[in-house]
Amino acid sequence: MRRGLMLWREQELSATDVLSRQQRLEAAMKAAGLDAFLVYTNHVRSAGVTYLTGFTPYWSDALLLIVPGKSPLLSTALSKRVGNWIRSVNPTSEVAHSPKPGRLVGERLAAAGCRRIGVLELDRLPAGLAEEIASVSDVEFVDASAVFADVRATADRAELDLVFRAEALAREALQAVDPNQERAGEAVSLLERVAREAGAEECYVAVAPDLEKDSRLGRLGNVPLGRLFAVRLSLAYNGVWIRLTKTFSRDAAVREQVQKLEEAFAEMAPELDLSGPLGPQLLKMADVSAWRLEVPSGTLPLAETANEREDVGTRASYGNLSAAFLLGGATVLLGGPVGHRFSRPATEAAA
Amino acid sequence: MSTAETRRKRLARAMAETGLDALVLYGNAWQNDYLRYAVDFGILEGEGIAVVGRDGETALYLDLPIEAERASVECPEADIRLASDLVGEVAAVIERLGNSRVAAGPARHLPYGLVRSGKRFEDATALIDRLLMVKAQDELDWVRKAAAIADEGYAVFRAAARPGRPDYALIAEIEAFFRTKGVDDNFMIIGVGGPEVRGMAPPSGKLLKPGDMVTTELTPCMGGYYAQICRTLVVGEPSQAQQQAFYIFKEALEAGIAAVKPGVTAADVARAENDVFRRYGLGDYVTSEYTRVRGHGVGLFPDTKPQILEDVTTTLEENMSIIVHPNTYHPEVGYIVLGDTLIIGADGPEVLARTPRELFAGTAGKEG
Repeated sequence: MRRGLMLWREQELSATDVLSRQQRLEAAMKAAGLDAFLVYTNHVRSAGVTYLTGFTPYWSDALLLIVPGKSPLLSTALSKRVGNWIRSVNPTSEVAHSPKPGRLVGERLAAAGCRRIGVLELDRLPAGLAEEIASVSDVEFVDASAVFADVRATADRAELDLVFRAEALAREALQAVDPNQERAGEAVSLLERVAREAGAEECYVAVAPDLEKDSRLGRLGNVPLGRLFAVRLSLAYNGVWIRLTKTFSRDAAVREQVQKLEEAFAEMAPELDLSGPLGPQLLKMADVSAWRLEVPSGTLPLAETANEREDVGTRASYGNLSAAFLLGGATVLLGGPVGHRFSRPATEAAA
Repeated sequence: MSTAETRRKRLARAMAETGLDALVLYGNAWQNDYLRYAVDFGILEGEGIAVVGRDGETALYLDLPIEAERASVECPEADIRLASDLVGEVAAVIERLGNSRVAAGPARHLPYGLVRSGKRFEDATALIDRLLMVKAQDELDWVRKAAAIADEGYAVFRAAARPGRPDYALIAEIEAFFRTKGVDDNFMIIGVGGPEVRGMAPPSGKLLKPGDMVTTELTPCMGGYYAQICRTLVVGEPSQAQQQAFYIFKEALEAGIAAVKPGVTAADVARAENDVFRRYGLGDYVTSEYTRVRGHGVGLFPDTKPQILEDVTTTLEENMSIIVHPNTYHPEVGYIVLGDTLIIGADGPEVLARTPRELFAGTAGKEG
């Protein structure tokens, strides 16, 4: 679930921002001959509805119905008692509550005479909701993931600024890792607290406790730490997710080498051209043994779109890169937001 | 034998008793109980499907590489398979099962693409729900551990609730505490204020001030099993009105717990709680307008069956674990929560919560 701060912040993501996204989708729907568009959300598959409305459910699930010329309808199984909260963090939608949110959507579709319905990730739509819709309306579902992807490909300024804010927050939190602790749980004990106190909506922490033995990351509890270990913080801030990975060492000489690599990574991150192969660009920095690029995709906040085996470009404005670099025989894990358009927010650049 | 092994054996027995050849169990970080019953992995991102054969062999299909990697570290004994095309790959596996009897669940959450792939599934919901509700002894031991950590967590929460602090700072403190105790997950929402507060939600940045009631339900997860505690505190000293209102909730909780024993229905317990409110002229406030449920099951999901409501006729059985919580709105002082997790024993309830049933007085004088 989402347990951290969830608040509508007009200065960060305005009603105008999300209305503009809705209008872009409506234009794409028209071009694709769709009468209506459906986007499913729960706190795992939140990215589609978050993009269109700024809203993320902390629990349960919902359907967002877009019919051109009308306010979006958020139909949810969350009870009426949390309606005020939903409206406070979702000012551009009509909110309707029902134990059968699909049925409610179906009734609206029937009343509006909609026949051809675009669905984001149709195959992943919960079957119960699809059946509820079909039980009260005669509609044709069409997978419209490509329509949404076209609208979503270019991030707007509000999204990029939120990514930048999330990254700053994650960097601050990772400062709380204590590399001198003997065990992983003790080393990262303050990390989540710092992140949440700074306003993180959610965070997940994973550790590779001994990079000289294994570079895979997991939630491993209080296992002993090796000479070189890595921490990955996946963090959500105001609906936007980023992943930051950092390698730590108690050895001063190794620490210095890692720091140089980090500086090179930070310098390279905004220069990376995501539209072409990444491998050759990364090799200019250091030997890289494995990497993955994740971008917001459909309902997923972050989904892998390229890696060292499938080095294909992406249309996304920014991505999150996680990479394993080779440093004198050891593996060093680094990661964070990257991409040409991942540039400093206008306000901070001016300052 | 590990708890995961216990579950696998119970699952195999249930499949044999019903003549099933395979089970297809879907899960994500929200609805993970069906999946986790078969494979002991706490999924966080993306989606997963476990395919369980009659011989007990189980494969877990995960759609995100990052989660498949984590599963390979956290569950080295499990058969983990990365399936970017989750629906297509699982549909192909099921197709290869031919004319065998396959059940799938939870029905509502199965991917539409799987349901329309051509294979007719039986509904596994009732079979799995029963396994989830009536637990083995080692499953109940995990619920006991989770309840003990919930008590510890509430002590941390109480100490954190100081005037001038934002609500999300309390969550930050409790989550950090839980992580140090090996709690991977926790369901919690919060309410801060007075009569204007009608329920609980995620934190919104409200600053605690003297006189505020602070409600929360903490639901930590140990070994995959959740237990819940609901308590209310007042920043500073509770007023007489707040105390008087609270005593009704305490009486209702005690009446509900007293009604719990094998053979009664969920409705009987709800009625026992609600009758107390009705006696005090607060019958309107036990309707769906003001409250969702009067308790629910806890286990591999924080809010599982049976729901404790006056129209739920599920019979309570030995070895179920539930929370009884008469949480609702009080028109004079606002939303109050109070609830204890318990295990249903042969002779009655084993109440797990050790935190006193009090309207706690929080620190009033110390800022920040």
